[in-house]
Amino acid sequence: MVFKAKRRTVVTTAAAVAVLLVAALVVTVFTHGNSSSASDDNMVAYPAGQRPAGPEFTATSLTGAPVNFASYRGKIVVLNIWGSWCAPCVAEGQTLKYLDEQYGPQGIAFLGDDLQDTPTQALAFLRGAGISYPSVNDANGAVEERLAIAVPISATPTTLVIDKTGHIAGVIDGAVTYPEMTTLLKDAAVTQ
Amino acid sequence: MTDVHSTASKAAPESEAADLDGEATRPFGTGPAEPDSGSGGASGGTGAGWGRWAWRQLTSMRTALILLFLLALGSVPGSILPQQGSDPASVTQYFTSHPALAPWLNRLGLFNVFAAPWFAAIYILLFASLVGCVVPRTFKLVGSARTPPPRAPRNLARLPQSVTYPSALPPDAAVDAAASVLGGMRFRLRRPAAGDAGHWLAAEKGYLREVGNLLFHLSLLGVLLSIALGGLFGYKADELVVEGQTFNDTTAQLAEFHPGRLVTGSDLAHFSLTLDKFNADYINSGASIGQPAGFNANVSYSDAPGGATKTYDIQVNHPLSVDSVKVYLIGHGYAPEFTVRGPDGVAYQEATPFIPANTNTMLSDGVVKAPSASLGFEGVFVPTAYMAGGTTLESIFPAANNPEVSLIGYSGNLGLDSGTAQSVYQLDTSQMTEISGGPHLLTPGSTWTLPGKLGSITYDGTKQWVSLDVTYDPGQIPALVCGILAIAGLLISFFVRRRRVFVRAVPGPDGVGSVVTVGGLTRTDASGGFEDEFATLAADIADASSPSSPSSPTAGPAAAADHQKPEPNNQSETGA
Repeated sequence: MVFKAKRRTVVTTAAAVAVLLVAALVVTVFTHGNSSSASDDNMVAYPAGQRPAGPEFTATSLTGAPVNFASYRGKIVVLNIWGSWCAPCVAEGQTLKYLDEQYGPQGIAFLGDDLQDTPTQALAFLRGAGISYPSVNDANGAVEERLAIAVPISATPTTLVIDKTGHIAGVIDGAVTYPEMTTLLKDAAVTQ
Repeated sequence: MTDVHSTASKAAPESEAADLDGEATRPFGTGPAEPDSGSGGASGGTGAGWGRWAWRQLTSMRTALILLFLLALGSVPGSILPQQGSDPASVTQYFTSHPALAPWLNRLGLFNVFAAPWFAAIYILLFASLVGCVVPRTFKLVGSARTPPPRAPRNLARLPQSVTYPSALPPDAAVDAAASVLGGMRFRLRRPAAGDAGHWLAAEKGYLREVGNLLFHLSLLGVLLSIALGGLFGYKADELVVEGQTFNDTTAQLAEFHPGRLVTGSDLAHFSLTLDKFNADYINSGASIGQPAGFNANVSYSDAPGGATKTYDIQVNHPLSVDSVKVYLIGHGYAPEFTVRGPDGVAYQEATPFIPANTNTMLSDGVVKAPSASLGFEGVFVPTAYMAGGTTLESIFPAANNPEVSLIGYSGNLGLDSGTAQSVYQLDTSQMTEISGGPHLLTPGSTWTLPGKLGSITYDGTKQWVSLDVTYDPGQIPALVCGILAIAGLLISFFVRRRRVFVRAVPGPDGVGSVVTVGGLTRTDASGGFEDEFATLAADIADASSPSSPSSPTAGPAAAADHQKPEPNNQSETGA
């Protein structure tokens, strides 16, 4: 009798475990491939007063000119982290070029941070795309690291909008879109 | 001895003897009245009943063993099939070579076993099972370590070890003397409560066994928590660095980043690392020619932005420790340097990592992308070139003794402007046309001038790259400490004996002095030796209660006889 009871327990335990595993397997089959992290919510806007302090750095541009980021204080800055090897960065180039042409004359500064790239490829791309605003030569990633300490940056491209006081008004993770950028630029104009 | 005992027990009133002896011999450390918590169950048919039943099944040792076995079984595909996390290129290759089977394997999560829900189900159930087993057991062990010894049974002669001797002292003094002996040996003592009849003493020793047991179980929980700690707060990342290149430990700069559940990019250690020089030594002669003899990655690093630069030589199994992060050398390869010129001038100039297709000869594949010149190249790099049969390019040695690159050129749109992320090791030639003259062989310094004024490509030289694994596991040290403590606890619980000694004294037959019975009991005596220990103890107790002098070595003849040969007790139930 004892043996029978034990055997029944073994069978029921095995059955319970099997049912749970089959359930997990079903979940695996039906959820697999749906986990793409393409989130629509890739824009973060910080309200005035709660904006993280922007970075301070000095670097060299792709053409060899010195860049001191402190000299941008007093202007709204669009800081775009990119690389000529990065397809989404290449694709968003035309949007940024258009925004630069539209907002540049209004006093908004555009600056690129060319990450883990070589000036040769980068300049060749900029020339081809007709982009005229300067880019920092960030082959060793030092500038990007400063930016990543200030706000979370997950990958290229990432675009930061920095207000006139040097605080970060918003971040776009991934390729920029025209409506997102106009919203952020409007937000950035408000300081306190 | 057994016979004597069984005879003795027959003499006792059955129920009473069973009662009292039952308490003395109840499992060490358990409370006197513990209802069987295993009874009841699902028969009630209520939800709670089923829940209790399910919980009991889950936390049983049997289920834990089944789950452990399934965990091992579930890991097998992880080592047989290529895994997305560690080798995405091989997964792609598998899809190409098994077009019918691969999608099904993918649906079952077999290309990412350790992240599959069914695998998670196994280990979560195992964790629940272990925690459900260990936590209640911990409380039980705490209780057991605090339980005082049980009352002395009436019939000590029924215990596995017992000895009886006459004493000149009255019963209470004889028990007092025994108490001072056992107390001096750090036994935990229990005397009759006020108003209790009889003169007895219960003593127990070996509580360290329970401490060991407790330590083992708590450490087991500690190991589980450490693993969870690593899973929540740790991270693992890979980065490929060419000689002369620098990278910073940020999400955007790492090629692969696998964070723990609660890790964000801002939690990363902020160090930067430059690969100054990589050196691979290979055996030059003998049977194992071409086998690697050593790898050295000389790096400069700084553990904070703008901090002082230090140098280190990373070798296999000699990782760099920086800012609580470990940087391991896990792979290497060649990065031929190319200059591509288009109609508008230089469009590309960089050392381009090629991926080894054959790790013995280091024959490697790679691509060069010069989108601004609308040029792309697929290449094969051989470190020591050899033309087999005059037509097939092969590598005969892994060191770059005679490097050559064979290139096939394409012109047209590389597809980068579509915005879809591309692998830097693959060329999308769907919108490109092949340039005639390929494959074209280049030696260092030579140039292939492309037909139709498309431009040219120059093979400038060769650099090497390393693949680095950046790992942060805050659970590693706690897991190690808990593992050591668990083993220590296990050893303590194996080697420490829990034993009980009882002393009962009754007035002597002629009203003078007393008759003292000492009984002993142990549960697990795997290493043996309790008989000897008991004999010594009984002799000491007899010594102490002998009439002459408690500490005198010249004990009375009766006691001396007991020293030599403890006599099994036949005078059972004298005090009943």
